[in-house]
Amino acid sequence: MANIYQYCIDYFNDAPIIIQLSWVLSALFAVTLISLIFYLKFLRSTLRTKERIQNVYLKKYESDLIEYLYSGNEDEEMTKEQGIIVNYLHKCAQNRLKRKLIITTLLKLRNEVSGETADAIKRLYYQTGLIDYGTLKLRSKKWEIVARGIKELAQFDVTEVHYNVIAQINHPKKEVRREVQMYLVKLFHFKGLDFLDLLKSQLSEWDQIQLLEILQNFDDQNLPSTTKWLRSKNTSVVLFALKIAKIYNQYDAKDEIIKLLEHPDLNVRIDAIAVLGDLGVFEMVDLLKNNLNEKDIDEQIAFFKMMENMYTPSDVDFLFEYMNHENFDIKVSVNKIFKEMNIQDASKFQINTAPESPPSSTNLIQAS
Amino acid sequence: MINNIIEFLFFAFSLSAILSYIILALISAVETIDYMKKNSFVNYKEILSSSISPSISIIAPAYNETLNIVENVRSLLSNHYVNYDVIIVNDGSKDDSLEKLIKAYDLVKVDYLINSQIPTKPLREGVFKSTNPAFEKLIVVDKENGGKADALNTGLNISPNKYVACIDVDCLLLEEALQKMIKPFLETTDSKVIAAGGVIRIANSCVIKDGKLLDVNLPKSLIVRGQILEYLRAFLLGRMAWSKLNGLLVISGAFGIFDKKTAIEVGGYDTKTVGEDMEIIVRMRRHMEEQKVKYKVAYIPDPLCWTEAPDSYKIFISQRNRWTRGTIETLRKHRKIGFNRDYHTLGLISYPYWLIYERLAPVIEVTGLIYFLYLLLNHFIRWDYAIVFILLSYLFTVAFSVITIITEELTYHQYKKKGIGFQLLMTAFLEPIINHPFILYAAAKGNYDYYFNKKIKWGEMTRKGMSND
Repeated sequence: MANIYQYCIDYFNDAPIIIQLSWVLSALFAVTLISLIFYLKFLRSTLRTKERIQNVYLKKYESDLIEYLYSGNEDEEMTKEQGIIVNYLHKCAQNRLKRKLIITTLLKLRNEVSGETADAIKRLYYQTGLIDYGTLKLRSKKWEIVARGIKELAQFDVTEVHYNVIAQINHPKKEVRREVQMYLVKLFHFKGLDFLDLLKSQLSEWDQIQLLEILQNFDDQNLPSTTKWLRSKNTSVVLFALKIAKIYNQYDAKDEIIKLLEHPDLNVRIDAIAVLGDLGVFEMVDLLKNNLNEKDIDEQIAFFKMMENMYTPSDVDFLFEYMNHENFDIKVSVNKIFKEMNIQDASKFQINTAPESPPSSTNLIQAS
Repeated sequence: MINNIIEFLFFAFSLSAILSYIILALISAVETIDYMKKNSFVNYKEILSSSISPSISIIAPAYNETLNIVENVRSLLSNHYVNYDVIIVNDGSKDDSLEKLIKAYDLVKVDYLINSQIPTKPLREGVFKSTNPAFEKLIVVDKENGGKADALNTGLNISPNKYVACIDVDCLLLEEALQKMIKPFLETTDSKVIAAGGVIRIANSCVIKDGKLLDVNLPKSLIVRGQILEYLRAFLLGRMAWSKLNGLLVISGAFGIFDKKTAIEVGGYDTKTVGEDMEIIVRMRRHMEEQKVKYKVAYIPDPLCWTEAPDSYKIFISQRNRWTRGTIETLRKHRKIGFNRDYHTLGLISYPYWLIYERLAPVIEVTGLIYFLYLLLNHFIRWDYAIVFILLSYLFTVAFSVITIITEELTYHQYKKKGIGFQLLMTAFLEPIINHPFILYAAAKGNYDYYFNKKIKWGEMTRKGMSND
């Protein structure tokens, strides 16, 4: 045995440097591999255990929450039974994992209920001290914790800390900015859109869709004037304001939108044409017709798309000029209009979006 | 002297390959952590239900898919995204796929004005839509056979939407796939996103019902297990890094979303290559570089698309043979960009990497084996050298696979069942011995076929079907 060992040592010492290096690396990889195997075993077992524990706690917290909600009465601010649950959850909330699970449970139920029950869950969020942990997150140095904190505060409608939240409106991370924007709109509805005045970065299409979805949940009639945003130097704010003008039918903004037809950004000009069409601003049709050929092809397409809903019999001669336009989209729009108008020359086009009758139908469906 | 030079080149190649894998894995780790952080609190439901979310066309070519076509289409139609349509392009199937679709979805023929921006094979029976409002999102196109690329081009011509998702018809898309894939297009404000690729996971032995993935299992077949590990390595530790470097050269043909305008501007898919999925990405990137437009090819690491992998060595070899030929064709066609600083990352990093470590790797490996055989036959082998080098490369390969398994556990943890960890570990040890020789053989045959057997095109993939209904 000693001989073999000695032979190995001698072999290693006599070997060229490249072989020595390769043996060292092999030993290193072998040790790493063994460590990784043990780690994998530990990791899989930890993940399984964690999942099991989480499920147990989730069930427990869910039943505690339901008990809390059902043990309340109108006479007392907090009943004895509720007090016991609050104390228990307060104690649990000191542990990070348990805190996360309690919040998950509260949110799950809060998303399913409304009115007094939702208010009671929010009260519990305060009583258990979870709000303190939530607001503490705003001071974290890690951006993802700040973002998560803002989201949590928005989900529990915590308005008290909104100054601290607004302070993050121009945060370097877009994920944090996004959460701030959603917090403001969720809690302050249209008033929350005032952040657009301060916004220096671009509001992405993703952000815009999310904000509009939140706004559509409210019946608020106090719609803001979009004029100042339509004049914004931030192009994304202008595009967002155009979407608001379209969704909320802001006819009053038409003069400002007409001005946007000369905006330096092509997307703004295209959206402006579409919105003016949606608002039914007929006077801009002639305005656009006058210099249509000087416009970008995408603007021309947007114009004819808009004309599909805004044509009048007096437009026939004008439209005939474009009936065989080289651009497919323009040609389709014009022929659609002729079909609607029952113009004979275009009668061979039967444009529909869905077949009306079984096999015999020969509808022409547009691809644009 | 010559022997020394050859040996030095082999050694340098191996060492640089190992280093490149380590660097890519490190970049992937950083990027994956960042991705997980950024997406841990995203609410996809709002995009899902928003009527102003952008419209997407799912284009799925089908050729002789009669076995599963009805179920596959049903699965595609059950996506939760609000604004999308499904375009099934029946690419001259010789079976009764079309008849089955007509019957199952109450289809009727309609006259459809097609914007033929990309030349394709003519329509056969024409375009069909459903009379049943429940299937209003479905469009079926029956055309003459022209291959997958031609079918996808027909879909591009027909799609009325700004974005197109090109997928294999037999793929299972998870419900949130479209909103996750569309996110990079909508949230990027400083550059134009031209395409986004997703992760492909292997669904063999998984439980799928009504187009939903119910249970993830590990198949018994070693060849499929090997592919699972291989896909995990490629998607979790490779493409994530290339995405960070904005150097992705390939988006899997099984699932990718494109900006339709850019795809059409470059002329759509190339019908003359068998690697159309890689070729279109390289061409789109090249186009953007030449236009000097700031752009990005995004990558989503979430397991959103599950597909059936070959479970016989014959089909497996045929698939890898095609991949090899596709890579050679694409790299040859776009050789102008290689080592060309006008193409930035694409020309100086992505292309050279693919050329050396994807295109040439099997050639170098086969040459190495032949050289080894020559040394062996002439009794020139220094066994002390050979043993340590083989051991070193084997240990590295296994360690890398185990790191991949750990990454999967730490991120998506899809293989939860007890015992699967051990099975995956065994696969990591066996794969280099059992699967790799076939991969090498397929790559070598791919090279041979490319240069000496031009007639060979796509191989046949026999589907067993994933549905467990």
